[in-house]
Amino acid sequence: MKTGLAAGAAISIPSVLRAQKAQTAARTVRMVMSGDLRVFDPISTTATITFDHGLAIYDTLFAADSRNMPQPQMVGKWGVSDDKKTYTFELRDGLAWHDGTSVTAADCVASIRRWAQVNAGGQLIMSRAKDVSKKDDKTFMIALKEPLGLLINILADPGDPGLFVMREKDASRPPTEQVTANIGSGPFKFNHGLAKPGASFTYDRNEIYVPRKERPDALAGGKVVNVDRVIWDNIGDQQTAFAALQAGEIDFIESPPTDLYTAIESDPNLELEILNKSGNDMLIRMNCLQKPFDNVKARQAMLHLIDQEAFMRVIQPNPKYTRPLTSMFGNDTLYTNDENTGWYKKGGNPEKAKQLIKEAGYAGEKVVILDPTNAAWAHIPSQLLAATLRKIGINAELAPMDWGQLVTRRANKGPIEEGGWNIFISSYSDKNLGDPIGAALLLANGDRAWYGWPKNDEYETLRAKWADVETLEERKTLARAMQRVWWDFIGAVFLGQFVTPVARRKTLTGLMPTPGAALPMWNMQKG
Amino acid sequence: MATYILRRMVSTIAVMAMVGIFVFLLLRLSPGDPAAIIAGDTATPQMIANIREQLGLNDALPVQFVRWARDILGGDFGTSIFSGRPVLQLISQRLEPTLSLSVLTMVVSVTIGVTFGVFAAWRAGGLIDRLLSAFATIGFSVPVFVVGYFLVYLFAIKARWLPVQGYQAIDHGLAPWFVHLILPTVTLSVPYIAFIARITRASMLEVLSEDYMRTAAAKGASAYSMLFHHALKNAGVPILTVIGISFAYLIAGVVITETVFNIPGVGRLVVDAINNRDYPIIQAVLILCSGMYVLVNLTIDLAYTLIDPRIRY
Repeated sequence: MKTGLAAGAAISIPSVLRAQKAQTAARTVRMVMSGDLRVFDPISTTATITFDHGLAIYDTLFAADSRNMPQPQMVGKWGVSDDKKTYTFELRDGLAWHDGTSVTAADCVASIRRWAQVNAGGQLIMSRAKDVSKKDDKTFMIALKEPLGLLINILADPGDPGLFVMREKDASRPPTEQVTANIGSGPFKFNHGLAKPGASFTYDRNEIYVPRKERPDALAGGKVVNVDRVIWDNIGDQQTAFAALQAGEIDFIESPPTDLYTAIESDPNLELEILNKSGNDMLIRMNCLQKPFDNVKARQAMLHLIDQEAFMRVIQPNPKYTRPLTSMFGNDTLYTNDENTGWYKKGGNPEKAKQLIKEAGYAGEKVVILDPTNAAWAHIPSQLLAATLRKIGINAELAPMDWGQLVTRRANKGPIEEGGWNIFISSYSDKNLGDPIGAALLLANGDRAWYGWPKNDEYETLRAKWADVETLEERKTLARAMQRVWWDFIGAVFLGQFVTPVARRKTLTGLMPTPGAALPMWNMQKG
Repeated sequence: MATYILRRMVSTIAVMAMVGIFVFLLLRLSPGDPAAIIAGDTATPQMIANIREQLGLNDALPVQFVRWARDILGGDFGTSIFSGRPVLQLISQRLEPTLSLSVLTMVVSVTIGVTFGVFAAWRAGGLIDRLLSAFATIGFSVPVFVVGYFLVYLFAIKARWLPVQGYQAIDHGLAPWFVHLILPTVTLSVPYIAFIARITRASMLEVLSEDYMRTAAAKGASAYSMLFHHALKNAGVPILTVIGISFAYLIAGVVITETVFNIPGVGRLVVDAINNRDYPIIQAVLILCSGMYVLVNLTIDLAYTLIDPRIRY
């Protein structure tokens, strides 16, 4: 028996070896995403990988196109009353959940209510809403106490988190209670049977999905699925992922490491492609509650000190993928501007920084930088930052930890002696900086602001006007006014902008560029 | 013998209980917040606070411990904070790849390592012995991931004979299962072959110098009979000890190989859980690993009696 088994295995090996190249079936796409899908509910987290999961299995009422302008998606027709206080939405035909039942207006109302508990824009809508209710099975309305010019933009915003429509029974849960049914009305169905948390997740084409007729444009337009199945392989080791791409075992790597770019470019079967053209903005967040950065001059010193090119080189050695960044609204949003950016100097201005830190009354106290050693994108610039600070006489100390520790410690508002901190490095999607209501980084309301807790009443007064401004031009003017104040009190200091190309086999085409980090899986083709 | 086994089983439960308490306290007292990781980098503090409340992480430590201990005693290892799936289900999904890799590695390591060691001792100072010394030095000093990448480059990328990565469950067919495990097994076996071969050689050299071996030679026993029937059996106790320790270490130490070859095993599960502060998974894996470690050692102790009848418990 044992001999027979061994002989059988031995005989079958050559055919298995020959069949290896056919492992990636023609209409199955295998992708290595930049993170591991750990949370399945896109309303419970701001993680990009969960957003991508949401894009696959759920649908949205509106969606942002490549110019970040809102376009109807699940909504067929919509209108607003003459007094601009009542919005009516009618769902388009053919919308159905993965279990075959129809999507109703009640599902949409419940989804809006749940999302609005955690999204800043949603909270704004609800604070002005008199009523959010269904009119009939396909129609619902939002009645406001006062007009809100930004309402459709907020509903379309794929921000933190996006408005994914779920079944009423799922959306009735509190947002802190995860929805794990993974039943949506989107273009892909989540395959529970093949789900291996930490290893791989499988998405099958939703046969009953009816795409819009418009051509696909970023997250908007027709979501036409051209493959039968997409598998997300969680390959933790980048070198292994690259080897698998070369061997044709996978088709796509979302974030290949920069040191492999040359190898990828030299392989005739592989290609680098930039899908997220606005990329990410790296930044320094300072603790405004503790010395020395409670003093605005110390924060201004940091602004003048930073040599953005030097920081970008350690994050992304190839300059074709990086740009300096001076606008608080990012480099590629509708509101990017150059107001009050005279501080920017190529190479930085350490002399000016020295003078400002002296004026801030800095007396050699320890400046603790939270250094996540398991996140290279923040760890390497943290080391450079410590060296840069020491050059102008700042007593910088790196506090090594993993990312999990960092996210806990940065919530500590206390002084260093009580486990507090002074600086951490983070990154923000450039696209999200075009939304001063939803982007936590752009708040300056003290205790309620993002970690670092900057406070500036003048800025907050301007920010409060954002939602009521009617036209794009008026918003651009307001953006300039906000930026003028922002670069005086310094909410954060930028290290620059970088984009990360994806790596794909040339047989995988039609990947959809988006203005943010989102990765839609419709439209792509293999073959 | 039965009393001894019973006593060891009871001590296993005690060890696992102590590991449980230690792991629980260690995790809760070390910095890191699963709620902050779940919420994502740009989440507001309020969003994180709500998740903490939902997960019961704001409860006092003793309350959390009693709740966890009560569940464990009822056979419930809890659910993953992130995926929401039962921990035992997640571990059982990952157990097959880890056990497959570990068992295959031990079979290869013991077979080759013992054979190498026996022949090296037989020809001590000769070519085989020197080759073994060179192999042992390389096997110990070259990191596992270097061996792994080298083999991948050679056999998967260049020759295209074997897959780069991944794992196929055994119920999908014996051949794909085996093919996916060839490179990881060879990679992981290298240091163990070196280790077992060195111990076997040392133990065999000691036995081969005994009087009864000279007597056997004088009586005309063949080299095969002398080495494998007389010497190896008497040199077996230290070799068996090393194999037992190696197997226990192997189960807990396959993380690097699982990472390099993208094998979804227990090692990667626990590393991911540590990064995410997924407490229920870390606790369950460590308790089960400690139990397995104790049981492997018990098995080895009992195996001594088979190869050396003088040993009694």
